[in-house]
Amino acid sequence: MPDLIQAHERVKDFDWSPTYETRHERYPSKYRIPRKTKDPFRTLIRDYCSMEQDKDDRQYGALEDVLARSNMPAHAERRWLEVLKIAIPCINFAEVGAMKCTAQLVDTIENAELRQGYMAQMLDEVRHVNQQQYLTRWFAKHAPDPDGFAYGTRFRGTDLFGRAARSCFETFFMGDPIECALALQVVGETAYTNAFFVPLTEIAALQGDQASPSVFLSIQSDETRHIANGYSTLAAAVSEPDNHRFLQDDFDRAFWRVHTFADPFLSVTYDYFQTHRTSSYLEKWNEWVAQDWVGSYISKLEPFGLKVPSSYALAQERMPWVGHTAAMVGWGGWPLFFYRFEELREPDFEWMEGKYPGWYDQFGWFWEGFREMTEPGSGNPFNLFPEMPPLCRVCQMPCVFPRLDDNSIRILEHEGRRHAFCSAPCELIFHQDPGRYLGYKTFWELWHGHGLDEYIVKCGLLRADGKTLIGQPHNSDDPKMMWTLEHIKALDHEIRDPLQNPDSIYLP
Amino acid sequence: MTYTTPGGAPAKAPRDHLYITPRRRRLSEYEAVTCYTQPGPDAFDIEGWFTLGPGPEHRTAWRKESTRLVHPHWWDFRDPAQQWQRTYVRMQAEQERSIERATEDAASAGAFADVDPAWLSEVVAGHYRIWSFLEYALFRAFAVASREALSDTLGNVLCFQGFDHMRHAQAAVLYLMVLEESVEDFRDQGAKQRWIEDPVYQPMRALAERLMLSTDDWAELAVAVNLVVAPILSEVAMSQLIRRGGPHRGDSVTPFIVSTTERDRRRNLAYTEELVRMVIAEAVEGHRENREVIAGWIDAWTPLVVEATRALRPVFEQAKVDVVSFDDALAGALRTQRETVEALGLSPATVA
Repeated sequence: MPDLIQAHERVKDFDWSPTYETRHERYPSKYRIPRKTKDPFRTLIRDYCSMEQDKDDRQYGALEDVLARSNMPAHAERRWLEVLKIAIPCINFAEVGAMKCTAQLVDTIENAELRQGYMAQMLDEVRHVNQQQYLTRWFAKHAPDPDGFAYGTRFRGTDLFGRAARSCFETFFMGDPIECALALQVVGETAYTNAFFVPLTEIAALQGDQASPSVFLSIQSDETRHIANGYSTLAAAVSEPDNHRFLQDDFDRAFWRVHTFADPFLSVTYDYFQTHRTSSYLEKWNEWVAQDWVGSYISKLEPFGLKVPSSYALAQERMPWVGHTAAMVGWGGWPLFFYRFEELREPDFEWMEGKYPGWYDQFGWFWEGFREMTEPGSGNPFNLFPEMPPLCRVCQMPCVFPRLDDNSIRILEHEGRRHAFCSAPCELIFHQDPGRYLGYKTFWELWHGHGLDEYIVKCGLLRADGKTLIGQPHNSDDPKMMWTLEHIKALDHEIRDPLQNPDSIYLP
Repeated sequence: MTYTTPGGAPAKAPRDHLYITPRRRRLSEYEAVTCYTQPGPDAFDIEGWFTLGPGPEHRTAWRKESTRLVHPHWWDFRDPAQQWQRTYVRMQAEQERSIERATEDAASAGAFADVDPAWLSEVVAGHYRIWSFLEYALFRAFAVASREALSDTLGNVLCFQGFDHMRHAQAAVLYLMVLEESVEDFRDQGAKQRWIEDPVYQPMRALAERLMLSTDDWAELAVAVNLVVAPILSEVAMSQLIRRGGPHRGDSVTPFIVSTTERDRRRNLAYTEELVRMVIAEAVEGHRENREVIAGWIDAWTPLVVEATRALRPVFEQAKVDVVSFDDALAGALRTQRETVEALGLSPATVA
């Protein structure tokens, strides 16, 4: 058997200095990366393929065998199954972004050890894309309400939160490849895969969903290699003093761009879609992001030239609130979406208050109001808000954070267009390079002036009968409870962009 | 839950990824896990891109300019082999296990002692090992292609092809390490220097660098490698020289390893043929222009590939490949390549 260490040394000796063609920068980077560093995982393709085949057989075998025969989805909590309809497509785009990021790094980084790690990660990310699509297809086959699972990747393109996910995860591959690596590997994979996948095991299993933990734990086993890639890339970046001129700014931007979407989204996913309740997302965030990522890792890098992101303190301050405020936008706009939003009940209120003291005072009024609007035609949920909030030009999240009464929204006119920003860091990011964020219209700008019924029809958000909405403000299967297009038409609701309303409460 | 359609008939529950139009009657597993994961305004995303690249260019996530070919809907492409990650990794794991077994068994049985020592030192430690640098260059080239391809079904075949080439390169390294343990005085050394300096390999290295560093069009890369490089250069330098020549010099293992690379070549040829058929189909607006572009690529790359192949004549002849002469090997490769191109309705390049 070949000596593995020797084998790894030899497979890293393929590079040569070209003389017939000149290398041009396909993905320009301002960073200098040393040509030799350490590859902590040393994965040969032969071993990689064998290892991944074993993992695939275990995971797909479990889905097809035990979980399908036990008809697991029929016994899982309906509330939980609904959030998977949007969560999996959003995460799926993160995997696509990751694949493209690592492909860029293969081209950009003239370092054989790092390139080996990126190569394996490229194929890992294809694996994750495929795994998650397999899972949504599996749920489409087996879930009591398959609508949403059957169309998720399609609807992600028009969904208000799907667009925010796209915006966030485009930072994984749009930009300086090293900054992209910071966003993907150092922030996304090192901090947030733990905050996402580890609670998933606990929370999903308690809701009766054994399939998602099977898949995401298998995904997480690859992430350990990606975390190592991130560490190696970061170590390479900090080792060159010249890089310190811009490393901190890039890291700060990468953190905030991931935080503004991921934290409200994961907060809502975990805190609002549990029926059988356990840990809160804030508890998991404190464990994995605050204590583990910042406390045990990032804060230890200061002697090497990298500090904890400048906006981390702000993020930490906002964390008790952002999920709750985002949840109101989701529930208040439920006809816009392709998944169901179930009312909260007394046990949910008690749990929220226990985990987030002060919750009822701040948010109880909304949930009491929502409970009165679940029956068809019983009220326009948009009216729960005085006015739907603008969307941030940079991160596309609603400008309501951390809370409605403590909103850090700011409005700006730039080159004849009005923009909203959810926070000071997003506004700062915009000013660093405005052109990066001006290539699209926000969700409100796109649909301004359209009737809500028109939006639903144009986006295909109707069930097979052509009249019942896919989204509903409950999880009942009682036909009398199902909102139809006629109920929506009766609301006579027009979608409006608050920034085009001269009387908007959000304008200064 | 059941619903009735507007006509009153019971509506079927949507139990699959219904946004994908299957190529055949039923949606395949490959389609279900692959299609439309990469977004775009020509798919379901009303708008394309929310975070553009840095200024001044502000490039979009994916760009139509990434290829000179045009097509209204790149997600129509389907890999004829229907590979997705699980099937691809399983296939390559099996290939690698078979190589490992063949190598171990040969070593255990002392079979390497029956191989002509000159073949081992000149062809296996020399030519075959030098070839691994071309494979590495192709891995680098296909990584970029997989980043820029305009759909997921295309990005994946390009990613898998990149991985193929790295597998071929690494397999050569591992195999030679076994030979070092099994054959006295056998050393894996000097190949990189010859790759850089030996005049025989310079046209091949120039070709490798051009593919790796200067070919930004992902479709051109697929056409150049799978319709020109593989059928001509790989066919002569690997299939004819090693796979056919090896057994006559007592070597059964290196030819076996090469045969696993041929399996990958056949698969990659098939997807490239599918890509060409897709873009030159008469229903596609721009099909005539696409045909001209592809023909131009074949015309441009063929002379470089033929030059690189002809430069290997001394290697071929020194290897004493008795079963076929270099001229016949090259003529056969050119003939087959021409037939492949003509079968697609394209004109092959004229070879002097």
